[in-house]
Amino acid sequence: MAGIEIFLEGFSKAFELILANDPGIQAITALSLRVSLTATLLGSAFGIPLGFLIGSHGFRGKSMVIAVVNTLMGIPPVVVGLVVYLLLSTAGPLGFLRILYTPEAMILAQIFLTFPVVCGITISSVLGLDKRLKETLQSLSAPKLWEAVILLRECRIGLLTAVMAAFGAAISEVGAIMMVGGNILGYTRALTTAIMLYTNTGEFALAIALGIILMLLAFGVNLTLTVIQVKHGKRR
Amino acid sequence: MKSYKLVLLASAAVLAIFFTLTFFGASSEKKLLIATTTSTVDSGLMDYIKPYFESKYGINLSWLSLGTGQALAVASRGDADLLLVHDREREEAFVLSGNGSLRVTVFYNDFVIVGPEKDPANVSSLNATACMERIAIAGESGSALFVSRGDGSGTHALEKRIWKALDMQGYENSEWYKAAGSGMSATLRLANELEAYTLADRATFIRLKDSMGEALKLKVVCEGDPMLLNPYSIVLLNSSRFPNIRYEQAVDFLLFITSTEGQRLVGDYTISGEHIFFPIYNMTESIGLPSEDAEVNFVEDLRASRK
Repeated sequence: MAGIEIFLEGFSKAFELILANDPGIQAITALSLRVSLTATLLGSAFGIPLGFLIGSHGFRGKSMVIAVVNTLMGIPPVVVGLVVYLLLSTAGPLGFLRILYTPEAMILAQIFLTFPVVCGITISSVLGLDKRLKETLQSLSAPKLWEAVILLRECRIGLLTAVMAAFGAAISEVGAIMMVGGNILGYTRALTTAIMLYTNTGEFALAIALGIILMLLAFGVNLTLTVIQVKHGKRR
Repeated sequence: MKSYKLVLLASAAVLAIFFTLTFFGASSEKKLLIATTTSTVDSGLMDYIKPYFESKYGINLSWLSLGTGQALAVASRGDADLLLVHDREREEAFVLSGNGSLRVTVFYNDFVIVGPEKDPANVSSLNATACMERIAIAGESGSALFVSRGDGSGTHALEKRIWKALDMQGYENSEWYKAAGSGMSATLRLANELEAYTLADRATFIRLKDSMGEALKLKVVCEGDPMLLNPYSIVLLNSSRFPNIRYEQAVDFLLFITSTEGQRLVGDYTISGEHIFFPIYNMTESIGLPSEDAEVNFVEDLRASRK
């Protein structure tokens, strides 16, 4: 078979599989979404408040903390996988939970990836706010919470970018979820781990089909983000 | 920023994650997690057995597809409930160390040495050691390559035994020797790309041939040597050392795979019409392996106690 034919055949079979609503592919996609969305949500729930606190307050060692968060934004997923594996292994400190090789373990690992991303981008958008806004709010002696809500509203585009970037990182990573999920069929097999497996076993059509779905998800996220940013840009 | 606020926030975060996880993770259904080899999974055997076992016992069966070395490592931490692997030496060491309570051979298949159609090292119709020796010689002269699993798997262990029998040293650093560090299918595909020789279990090779068709340009160049026999064993973990494992379900699987029905299922499994695995429980002498009377008695006592 000539090289290009493999591609063409792979793609045509892939579209057949996607259009046929293959239950196997559905389950894999659903798991990927469940894990990555949950991890993004939880990572944001902690990352946004913490990022806001760090960004809006002056304290000793602030630059240090920000540098650490920014470094963690680039933490390699395999390192996260290794750490979470050791935490959850029966011999490890959280072994009693018995959640290694479950979707929950995958969510936990991805929280370690999404949290720094959300936190870091939140910090930089809070730092980028106009200082006069904060001064104005303080001169009104508004309640702290109300002040925070106003400021967060002001940098909502940054927050959205943070959440989207975190989701993009989560849905496309393979190292961490492979290590703590174990790639078990119908249980912890996600899009990325399945692509690896099916490429290895020579089932290219299936791998390409999943690759297309993954690309579509990533594209959807980026498109939404771009549309919002462009709209916002027009209003300025 | 007051530091107590940060501490409070951090502990709230930890608690919330913890709560979410336990809330999600608690499920009462019966489960069994087997740590097994890439060959039993890639060949499709596990998928084939799964529905029969599940419907009979009502246990949700899942597995990790690892090399034998990794599978043993995972089990030695108590992170899996049962082992289905193929490296007798290390299985026995595992039991001796107190991590396992029993190893028993349940089925076998065989290894084949595969290589490019052209067979540049000219190794067909040789026995396994002579074949590997000739590949090494051809490798040194730059006319052949060898791809190794290089992942501590059972297949890798056999390869190292063959080199040892040849008294070969320093081959790992040679130009012609490529350590893939991956599973059987991936290693075969690498050998295919490099037009190299490799050692593979027959099951995975047939399965890959089936899925890749003509794109897989490797052929069997050496087979049938007794050295290439590949027996698979079940290893029960020591439940007193690992109180958290699902020992009862593990015993259920052991009894199932050694039962007449389970043995027949293994023998019935075919890929493109070829039989892949051959049942061998309680018949190990028939292929020249040591008899396992003690192990078989242990299993049969377990079976009787369950009745």
